[in-house]
Amino acid sequence: MATLTVPEAPTRRAPAKAPTDPRHRAFTVLCVVVLVILAALWLVPMLWAVDTSIRPESEITTSPATWWTSHPSLDAYRQVLSAGRMPVWYLNSFLVALLTAVFAVVVCSMAGFAVARVRFRGRRIVTGLVLAGLLIPPQTLIMPQFQEFAGLHLLNTYWALILPSVPTSVAVFVFASFFSGLPGELAESARIDGAGWFRVYSRIFLPLCKPAASAVFIFTFVWSWNNFLWPLLTMTSTEVMTIPVGLNVVQDSYGIRYAQVMASAVLGALPLFAVFLIFQRRIVEGIANTGIK
Amino acid sequence: MTVSYPQGTSRRAALGALGLAGVGALTAGCGSPIAAGIAGTGPNATSLTYWNLFTGGDGINMVAMTDRFRAAHPSVHVDAVTLAWGTPYYTKLALAVIGDRPPDVAITHLSRLPTLAEGNLVEPLRADDLAAHGLTGDRFTAAAWRKGQVGGQQYAVPLDTHPFVMFYRTDVCKKAGLLDATGKLKPIEGTDGLVAALSACAKVTGGYGGVVNVNADPATCWRWFDTLYGQLGGQVLADNGTRIVLDDAKAEKALSFARELTVQRKLMPSNIDGSGVTQLFASGKVGLLFDGEWQIPTYQGAKTPFSVAPVPNLFGGTYHCFADSHALILPRNGRRDARRRDESLTLVRGLLDNSLVWAKGGHIPAFREVQDSAAFRKMQPQAQYVPAAKAAIYDPAGWYSGAGSDFENIMGFAVSAVEAGQLHPAAAIAQLRQKLADYASKPAPVGGTGS
Amino acid sequence: MTSTVAAPPAGALPGVKDEPRAAGAIGQTRAGWGLLTPFLVLYLAFLIGPAVYGLVMSFFDGSSVRSGLGPFAGLDNYTEALTSGDFWSSMWHTVLFTILTTPPLVIVALLLAMLTDRIRRGKWFFRLVFFAPYVMPVTCVGLVFTWMYVPQTGLFASWLSALGLPAPAWLADPNWAMIAVALMTVWWTIGFNFVLYLAGLQDIPRELYEASAVDGAGPGAQWWRITVPLLSRTTVLVTMLQIIASLKVFDQIYLLTAGGPNYSTRPVIEYIYDVGFTDFRTGYGAAASMLYFVVILAVSAVWFAISRRRA
Repeated sequence: MATLTVPEAPTRRAPAKAPTDPRHRAFTVLCVVVLVILAALWLVPMLWAVDTSIRPESEITTSPATWWTSHPSLDAYRQVLSAGRMPVWYLNSFLVALLTAVFAVVVCSMAGFAVARVRFRGRRIVTGLVLAGLLIPPQTLIMPQFQEFAGLHLLNTYWALILPSVPTSVAVFVFASFFSGLPGELAESARIDGAGWFRVYSRIFLPLCKPAASAVFIFTFVWSWNNFLWPLLTMTSTEVMTIPVGLNVVQDSYGIRYAQVMASAVLGALPLFAVFLIFQRRIVEGIANTGIK
Repeated sequence: MTVSYPQGTSRRAALGALGLAGVGALTAGCGSPIAAGIAGTGPNATSLTYWNLFTGGDGINMVAMTDRFRAAHPSVHVDAVTLAWGTPYYTKLALAVIGDRPPDVAITHLSRLPTLAEGNLVEPLRADDLAAHGLTGDRFTAAAWRKGQVGGQQYAVPLDTHPFVMFYRTDVCKKAGLLDATGKLKPIEGTDGLVAALSACAKVTGGYGGVVNVNADPATCWRWFDTLYGQLGGQVLADNGTRIVLDDAKAEKALSFARELTVQRKLMPSNIDGSGVTQLFASGKVGLLFDGEWQIPTYQGAKTPFSVAPVPNLFGGTYHCFADSHALILPRNGRRDARRRDESLTLVRGLLDNSLVWAKGGHIPAFREVQDSAAFRKMQPQAQYVPAAKAAIYDPAGWYSGAGSDFENIMGFAVSAVEAGQLHPAAAIAQLRQKLADYASKPAPVGGTGS
Repeated sequence: MTSTVAAPPAGALPGVKDEPRAAGAIGQTRAGWGLLTPFLVLYLAFLIGPAVYGLVMSFFDGSSVRSGLGPFAGLDNYTEALTSGDFWSSMWHTVLFTILTTPPLVIVALLLAMLTDRIRRGKWFFRLVFFAPYVMPVTCVGLVFTWMYVPQTGLFASWLSALGLPAPAWLADPNWAMIAVALMTVWWTIGFNFVLYLAGLQDIPRELYEASAVDGAGPGAQWWRITVPLLSRTTVLVTMLQIIASLKVFDQIYLLTAGGPNYSTRPVIEYIYDVGFTDFRTGYGAAASMLYFVVILAVSAVWFAISRRRA
């Protein structure tokens, strides 16, 4: 399946030859114009959020829909970061996303390796079981999962967020298809040298699967950071809330102050923009190659 | 640094160790939030978590009251959390109790208390514990204290009573000839009286005469309907919510009047949300406003010339207007020991002692010492509607009823659709009847065999 | 990442390479299960286990504030859900959201990708602009759009009144609320489909264009006769992924309208949340979840069949 091919370096094509046909040239100009207009539209919400966040509150009240400000300031950011709980939520989001991503890479790569490279009894059954996981939307499990974590007394701990997000069928298949794309001789020679299967996995295959691992890592991280419904149910104590939940649940006792609301929206999105800017290529390739959503 | 509790410690410790290994140096020195996240340890022993649902004027007053308490009790650290009002608040409260990490003290509406108590989500308060903090029935508004009991057991300590009232702009009403010599609103009687008053205001403003919130706020729609329908002597639920006793004729009369004001006579806007309401009244584009008294600080802040009166008696029957109370509860928590309970009640008492600050928000303090004080009697316009508190009749009992409940949503959405001209009264009644029947016919998920 | 599953399972697993048999079958079996253990333990404990438990719960009248499963209810919960107007209207809202979001999210994404592919410089910039919203947390997107949707004084309202058009009360008007939510969703998530299309465009050989240009085909004709048909595989993928993702809507609606006004936007997941957590009726909530799961399963089966046929 094309949608589950091994992440690989993009094939860079030579740019198309400059079209000589005047119709083509005119068309390209038209395309650029339309594209620029659409891009400008797409930028509006983000720019508007930033713009609102640097305006003084009194100005927003008197003329809400104006872009121009006479007194731009970062006060709203200062207030959100000093008075609010944002720093703790940042930490929670970061730790949960990091732990989930690390565990997902380790656990799913092992499983992917076993499924792809080890010929063991019961492999078909396991593969079927993992496939079944692709069909279960996690939203349908909120009721029993909540009861389960309540019974384990793990609500309001990071584990409630991490544990259900680690065993991901898609990640197993991403790793499996990557591992089965590697040459068979790799394992063969190591096995002849007497290495155990775990050593073959950890010393030879794992170091080679960086593209798959980084795709799984980044996607799990972003997904975990942005997850909303499940953390909304399980994280009721402000100390352990993640950014998306905290921003929704905890209100400002002084009422809505839009500069601060927009500042916290900007701050909440900022780390992921950074991740995206740094790993833009990997993310885009990850989507193109795996269709992980 | 943190106090861990014996129950389930070993599993948590094991998971904690695993997590710490995973995060490595990151966690070093970061302290209690991470410990809470990884090991599920409780909060600091000397820290009380206090949940409330107040924003705006009430929010500011509550912050002031909490700050005063902190100043008087420097040894107790109060972590006050403001959550979004309405259904999400009570859902969160239930989830927090089930999730083993409830706040130590929380605000509730008394109309919500029966469901919370029957759901075993709130701790019963022992009379001697209460008495030790001077919290006895004789020191509170009787109706509110009684409503703090479920099955004869005290569960809540009332903070206030807050009725639905009528705001009037003194400048607009003066020009409309609605004020008497002392500058007070002349009594308005009957639906004709209100229509006449609104028309007079509309002439002054050149637009609308009055306003009540229509959009995206089912609670306000329900309060407006409850006030009208209650004055006709109507009731909605009986037998703990298992029976619908809606009087279609009376409901239709109430809804038709609400619709007449918005759709037919256009004396009030039929499409307006909360911020629109504030803008209209603050900018003098209407003369009358029907809303909760808790909006008083909004208009004081906006320097609006206004006063407040009880909603007029429109249908000539026994007087009624919507009212509810805020109260303080101790959500159920197996980890709460005697000392923590004592500190929690200290906070409850401390907030009551400062409820004159709370009265600034328009609420009538339930604590009699404050309610009867000279300082409160002088407070205007609050002193104008104290009788409404004593006559308070709360939302009908039922597991799906109370502030921010499905009941208020069902009622409010239907009323809103009528006021907006989207539904005819008869259709709205059919809709809400059918939706209420869904709930009334079900076995209550609370009460009965407790856990 | 667990939120939507994209990969069609058919043929996902290439055959195992023939490893040397020296270690013997028993060794391999032990190694295979050993490597799988961490995954399987978590998977069974937190996914398959709850799925089975959810099915059991749906036959009982459980309450989140009581311990245990509660009294046995047989099929009562299912009968109630299937005859409940609220359940069906929430199902319809989910479907309506899917209908409103899928066409623009497929067609506009295709258009954006074709436009971006056409230009030679600054592709990275457009990729950034159209994809960046996708990585924003939904709460942040919700806050920004709530602010833009403020009636009368909000940014959108001021634009419309500048054009002399009446501005609707976006989120408060039952006729507009779902459209407003859909608009936000298109802005927020189009980047994903856009990137899938960009990848699809990479696979179209340039020679095809050059050959048709020699034949005198104009650029529009090329798009219509070469690009769009050759992208049909991607279009099927994008459409199916989008339908499945849209059917799972909860976050945006909960944040923007909380299901209102007058329940006119409440999707089925929020219905489950409301009955299960706000009303404490876990058994009934589990039954509603199961019915919803059947719908998702049916759509996935269609997807499965399509991808099988095309494979």
